[in-house]
Amino acid sequence: MTGVIVESNQLTKTYGPLTALCECSLAVNKGEVFGLLGPNGAGKTTLIRLLLGYLKPTSGRANVAGLDCERQSVAVRRLVAYLPAEASMFPQMNGHDALRFFAEIRPGSDLARSQLLAERLELDLSRRVSLMSTGMKQKLALAATLAAQTPIYILDEPTANLDPTVRSTVLALVAEARVAGKSVLFSSHVLSEVEQVCDRVVILRAGRLVHTQVMRELRTQHRIVAQLSAPLPPIPESLRHQLVIASHAGAEVTFETPGELAPLLGWLATLPLADVRIEPVGLRAVYDRYHREQTRASGQREPADGVALEPAALPGG
Amino acid sequence: MLEVRLLFAACLVLVFAFCFVRVFIVASLELSDFAAIVEKLWDKWGKFSAVPLSQLLSYPGRIALAFDEPIVVFTISIFAISRGSDVVSGELNRGTLELLLAQPVSRLQVLASQALVTIGCLALLSLATWCGTWAGIQVTSVKERVPPPKVKLPFLPAVPLPVRSDEKIEIPMREKVDPAVFWPGALNLFCLGCAVAGVSTLVSACDRYRWRTIGIVASLYILSMICKILGLAFEQFAWLKDVSLFTAYEPQRFIAIATRTPADTWTFFHQVDGLSELGPLGYNAILLGIAALGYLAAAIIFHRRDLPAPL
Repeated sequence: MTGVIVESNQLTKTYGPLTALCECSLAVNKGEVFGLLGPNGAGKTTLIRLLLGYLKPTSGRANVAGLDCERQSVAVRRLVAYLPAEASMFPQMNGHDALRFFAEIRPGSDLARSQLLAERLELDLSRRVSLMSTGMKQKLALAATLAAQTPIYILDEPTANLDPTVRSTVLALVAEARVAGKSVLFSSHVLSEVEQVCDRVVILRAGRLVHTQVMRELRTQHRIVAQLSAPLPPIPESLRHQLVIASHAGAEVTFETPGELAPLLGWLATLPLADVRIEPVGLRAVYDRYHREQTRASGQREPADGVALEPAALPGG
Repeated sequence: MLEVRLLFAACLVLVFAFCFVRVFIVASLELSDFAAIVEKLWDKWGKFSAVPLSQLLSYPGRIALAFDEPIVVFTISIFAISRGSDVVSGELNRGTLELLLAQPVSRLQVLASQALVTIGCLALLSLATWCGTWAGIQVTSVKERVPPPKVKLPFLPAVPLPVRSDEKIEIPMREKVDPAVFWPGALNLFCLGCAVAGVSTLVSACDRYRWRTIGIVASLYILSMICKILGLAFEQFAWLKDVSLFTAYEPQRFIAIATRTPADTWTFFHQVDGLSELGPLGYNAILLGIAALGYLAAAIIFHRRDLPAPL
């Protein structure tokens, strides 16, 4: 990863009294898969639409490869292939026509590649768009978008309405794009998918960017949940920076490790613990730090404001 | 796109067939019978006519009525409203603008390409009205009484004999009517279509729901019609004509000018009773001006506005 390809600086969008995005500053590196996380109304789509020049910022700026997103939006879109959250195709076209249309309208686009992608996504191109299911339309839009030979892909909910097999194919295609050196802005509600493909994730809450998470760092973090059979002794000074007591209610105690687990194992073995569970912290836990109230309000197993709580997304789930 | 092609094809067939059939009707209804009907109504309804009675009782005048028939005017207008309303609010409503503008095309390119297709189709529809009229003129004939025989005496002009013949002869319509006189009518129809398309595109550029756009434009259209009717009907409301789009739509009058004073057919101003009046091209320029302003304002608004996410 070398250099920043997408950058926003204090980007703000308001609609009268409503602030859709507030002073959002972020940078996406070349060859990076960058996740956007947040519940509905958090500002993810507003951010994407500002980057593409669909919306004019109230203040702040954004640029893609040095091009101003507001003033040079056509040049920006030459570099970006965008998949909208609910991609609507021209209903009277069939799949072949739609792919041909998008291949012709974008210079350097490859019809053969889009047809190949459609095949990988198991899409019947002979069917008319108006007769396609929502999932089929999504596959068609994906084939058209991912066929574009652009350095940046912006994918808003790319796996929505897709079956598990095709979801895996989409995630594989995103991974292939990264290998090919392309940058991907990946907005999704499915934590497990974001966790699987993203290098870095930002969490948005009520229009504000509240956290940036490097996924490599997250993978080294663990959570230890256990029952105490005696009072917890103080944490030794040498381990204070390597261990945090996340919660201690009654007999149950939860530790979190911001880094490697191995140096702590010796001390943990001396504690009066029973029913010990060690699990990766996972994106769910990070997400919950900022959206816990919504998660609690909607129940432990319910989607938190539209965030799909798949078993794989749950720590230890 | 297929939807547009079907609409266009249907409108094309309709206006061609209507104008063609219209000439047949004119040919089949004898002038004297038509005159009997019109003369009875003229005292009351004459003020709504754009042309004098003598023009209305001529073959070109009767055929020219086709350009004022609701079926022709509404077909062109419906096509223009349908296309104009689709440009921004239609695409937004369907959600297709999102993916279209994800491509490296500017908003102005989208609007310009839509405008070109609309104007091209309107030109073809207007041409179809002329072609329908031309085809009708080529294949129909009118029946007229044989003129009384004339006696030619030396050194005197020919004198018709005072005998009345009941014999009728068929005369091809093309000998009675020059199809070229209908060009100003077709052009005026095209300009009206452009003006309606321009206004529709402007409303569409401000809106996000296509049906609301159609509703607003249809309301303006009907209001404009009412203004002209009231302006013609009541002296005290004559000023209302000046705010109506339809005041510039006078195909019958322009066809009458082409028939009677061909030199004035393609003029912006012409002399009537010593006074300079707006000529056919002047009225068409007003309609095209409205169209241009509509498209220009639509382009500015569309270029500057935020595009909301699809619903």
